[in-house]
Amino acid sequence: MKQERAIHELYDDPERADTVVFGRVASHGGNDVPRATRRGFLGGAGLAALSAAVGGAIPFAAEMPAGLIPAALAQGAGSGAKEPQLLKFPGKDERLVVLGERPLVAETPEHLLDDEITPTARFYIRNNGQIPEQTKEPDNWKITIDGEVSNKLELALGELKQKFKPVTRRMVLECGGNGRSFFSPQARGNQWTNGGAGCAEWTGVRLADVLKAAGLQPSAVFTGHYGADPHLSGEANRVALSRGVPIRKAMDENNLIVWAMNGEPLPPIHGFPVRLVIAGWPGSVSQKWLTRIWVRDKPHDGQGMGGTSYRVPVKPIVPGSNDDGKTFRDLESMPVRAIITSPANGSKLAAGTNELKLRGAAWAGDQTVKQVDVSTDFGATWTKANLGKPKNKYDWQRWTAAVKVPSDGYYEVWARGTDSRGVMQPHVAGNWNPQGYGGNPMHRIAVLIG
Amino acid sequence: MRVRLAVLWLIWSAGAAWSQSPAFTPRDESPEEFAPGAGREETFYACTPCHNFKLVAAQGMSRERWDETLTFMTSRHNMPALAGAERKLVLDYLERAYPPRPARPGGWNPFAPH
Repeated sequence: MKQERAIHELYDDPERADTVVFGRVASHGGNDVPRATRRGFLGGAGLAALSAAVGGAIPFAAEMPAGLIPAALAQGAGSGAKEPQLLKFPGKDERLVVLGERPLVAETPEHLLDDEITPTARFYIRNNGQIPEQTKEPDNWKITIDGEVSNKLELALGELKQKFKPVTRRMVLECGGNGRSFFSPQARGNQWTNGGAGCAEWTGVRLADVLKAAGLQPSAVFTGHYGADPHLSGEANRVALSRGVPIRKAMDENNLIVWAMNGEPLPPIHGFPVRLVIAGWPGSVSQKWLTRIWVRDKPHDGQGMGGTSYRVPVKPIVPGSNDDGKTFRDLESMPVRAIITSPANGSKLAAGTNELKLRGAAWAGDQTVKQVDVSTDFGATWTKANLGKPKNKYDWQRWTAAVKVPSDGYYEVWARGTDSRGVMQPHVAGNWNPQGYGGNPMHRIAVLIG
Repeated sequence: MRVRLAVLWLIWSAGAAWSQSPAFTPRDESPEEFAPGAGREETFYACTPCHNFKLVAAQGMSRERWDETLTFMTSRHNMPALAGAERKLVLDYLERAYPPRPARPGGWNPFAPH
């Protein structure tokens, strides 16, 4: 373990590290370098050293980009811990990784997202405040719709269920900070890898139906959402989180006010008895323990709106620089993301395995996913995956691929999603911002054959 | 200074009345679990009225960005403002204990011999 940490420290200056540790010299082209390619040259003692570090021979070493930290050394949460802290919470899978206990935040390792519908036990947890006391009378739970409406509503959950048509839809919910840990320099906040996402079947009524019943005034431009979770400080006059969306998004027929997840009542940690699900946008607009939707005549200015919160630069800024976010824009649709859900990172496969059978999921905020490609040679060549269709809008798309490999050894599998507009996942998290939103570089896993 | 921060923490903690669901009680943290250095306790008690210190320890930032973060916590999350020697002590600690790290801190090799 000590040696790996040392490698990491050296990778502060990756090209220098390649030279010092592995004897690898990055080529920038020209005739003076043996095997001149735009990628790194790795051979002899250097290759042996790198192979030893990852635990196996690297058949595609010649394609490995200079300065690349092997995926085998690059996985893991940003806590500085050698091993992740695993969740212990009733009803939850004990393999979820804790990012924080106060507030409670836990992500789902990618290989646990291998189901079409994410089991509730494996669904990620994100809180911004304390977990509220569980109500004993869910049907009497009150939800208020007020502000720029002609008919202010105060509905008990029981009434809501009676008055509006119930709908069940399979939709991805994703934390706005998903992928934050991939930013360099490190962005501030919970260090999510790709596990701040899941796809569940949600049952509820359409938000649009409820807003129509309240009668939106012409002055209505934005929503502001409130929940029952107390502020972390415990101060009654502080709001833990209150975000909202423009009316055009709020009226999307896919948005639901839900009381059931995967056919069961919402678990307390996911917002019992009632929450919003506004799919495709940062999860923080899908208020848990929903008590109020305030229809605003201007963009909402609640806790978690404005500044650098859930916002990204319009004009790219220097990574690591200070910025008050005033010129940023709200992060609306989440970016395209494909993950490999099988095999798991760190899988050892039998000697002689000559084909990798891959499975995964892909989704793209308000868009659909047009294509998923996989590479086992550090991106030199790509194979198009078989991509399924979403069951309904905002469902994720499952994909499979089978890729031949030439020998035993260490492989990295990379997956890259392309959304319906043709936008692809980048190699690294771009458009750096202080709180690390919009990070969606390709997912990489390491496998060892033999 | 240490006394003032500790008292503040006690007041806040009492006010917070941790009523997390009975199913989950956050683990108690103590300053000693985290990177040693002058200012550790003061920093711990300044941050933990609201969130656990694990979150702080998961960050790696320059002094300038830590400074910006303290300002952010005060302006957006109601943390009592830290000023003067108190702020310097906290920043000295954070800068030394949690400096910028390489892109993927905390990585481990799934194939390392055990």
